Amino acid sequence: MDMELIQQIRGKARSLLEEGTVEGVIGYERAGDGVTSRPLFAYDSSAAERLIFDDTCTHNLVKYLLGKRGKKMAVMVKPCDSRAINLLLNERQIDRDKVFIIGVGCPGVVETEWNHKSETLQARCRSCLLTKPLVYDVLLGRELARKAEEETYSDILEAEAESVVSRREFWREQFSRCIRCYACRQVCPGCYCPVCFAEQLEPLWVGIRIAPEENTLWQTIRTFHLAGRCIGCNECERVCPVDIPLSLLNRKLEKDVKELFAFQAGLDPEEPPPFATFRKEEMPELGE
Amino acid sequence: MSAGYQPKVIGFLCNWCSYAGADMAGTSRMCYPQNIRIIRVPCSGRVDPLFVLKCFQRGADGVLVSGCHPGDCHYTEGNYHTRRRFALLREFLDYLGIEKERLRVEWVSASEGQRFAELVADFTTELARLGPRS
Repeated sequence: MDMELIQQIRGKARSLLEEGTVEGVIGYERAGDGVTSRPLFAYDSSAAERLIFDDTCTHNLVKYLLGKRGKKMAVMVKPCDSRAINLLLNERQIDRDKVFIIGVGCPGVVETEWNHKSETLQARCRSCLLTKPLVYDVLLGRELARKAEEETYSDILEAEAESVVSRREFWREQFSRCIRCYACRQVCPGCYCPVCFAEQLEPLWVGIRIAPEENTLWQTIRTFHLAGRCIGCNECERVCPVDIPLSLLNRKLEKDVKELFAFQAGLDPEEPPPFATFRKEEMPELGE
Repeated sequence: MSAGYQPKVIGFLCNWCSYAGADMAGTSRMCYPQNIRIIRVPCSGRVDPLFVLKCFQRGADGVLVSGCHPGDCHYTEGNYHTRRRFALLREFLDYLGIEKERLRVEWVSASEGQRFAELVADFTTELARLGPRS
């Protein structure tokens, strides 16, 4: 643990709260197991003393801003999380004036489970090219020059090389385990519809019963709604209780959106997202 | 086409061009396979990927989304959005195990009755070749 960085974070949080710049600070604290971390909502300076930051701080805290709309909040943001800020700014879901962004330099986060932290970086961190958050009000910690591996989508390309039948079998097995707890949705910073299509009753798009075909419909549309919007924080996969490899879906669309529309989500708060724009001369082969 | 297996096709046709094109095929007494069930939508941009998924879930073998030719959309730009959306959805369905040939995006104008009839015949033949969805 970088105590110097943690002291900086606590000091900043304390002054923001005491000066009344923000109502609360969303950050991380040590979880009950003494090893991993969990989100902390600090509303006074004594709570701010519990703030920490280390390589177990995996949560994308930007999601919580959606529940605090209208309130002035500070939020701790890793470089990857900052793309979610850009996404929500782009979609006019948060007010930049109401959010104080505490950017933190991040050496990458590791795989964790309760009471245990591994030494290996998460896959998304291994290919992360961001050395600092894309948007912040204050940057704490060091900007890190990283030796990132290039994202080659090798696992996606492998799946694409297989037959359509074997892919069908693969996903049928995966989706048959889905219990539709909707944790993937609840944790996603891009999922904020007041009424989700999965909960509409008229028409009933997704049947109530937990059956493979309903699960498939849910996962397909959930992922497709995030096409060109998913910022790759991979929180959905992390929280999935039945370990469905959701990153294989999200990154497939990320790859295709990059190829088809030359777009990556969360990099620019002003660039129109791929499904809000078009070019007249593109894709002449489709439909002719 | 084999006499036994008859693929089920759902066609989403836009009100202004493709539906009128299908109507043209009908009033001109052209013959085309009866496998298609047509759903009229105000614009091909109205077709939500959810509609397509729901069709496949409920047993459709193929889905046709058809609108005005690019540049001719009644709402100026609806079909450009359709094109982007379904270009991506086709790839994604294929990745999940539904052959991309089962989802077709086509442009049919109000005067192209002949084209519509040929399109449905061609699509039905292709779906018969692919066989029932497992």
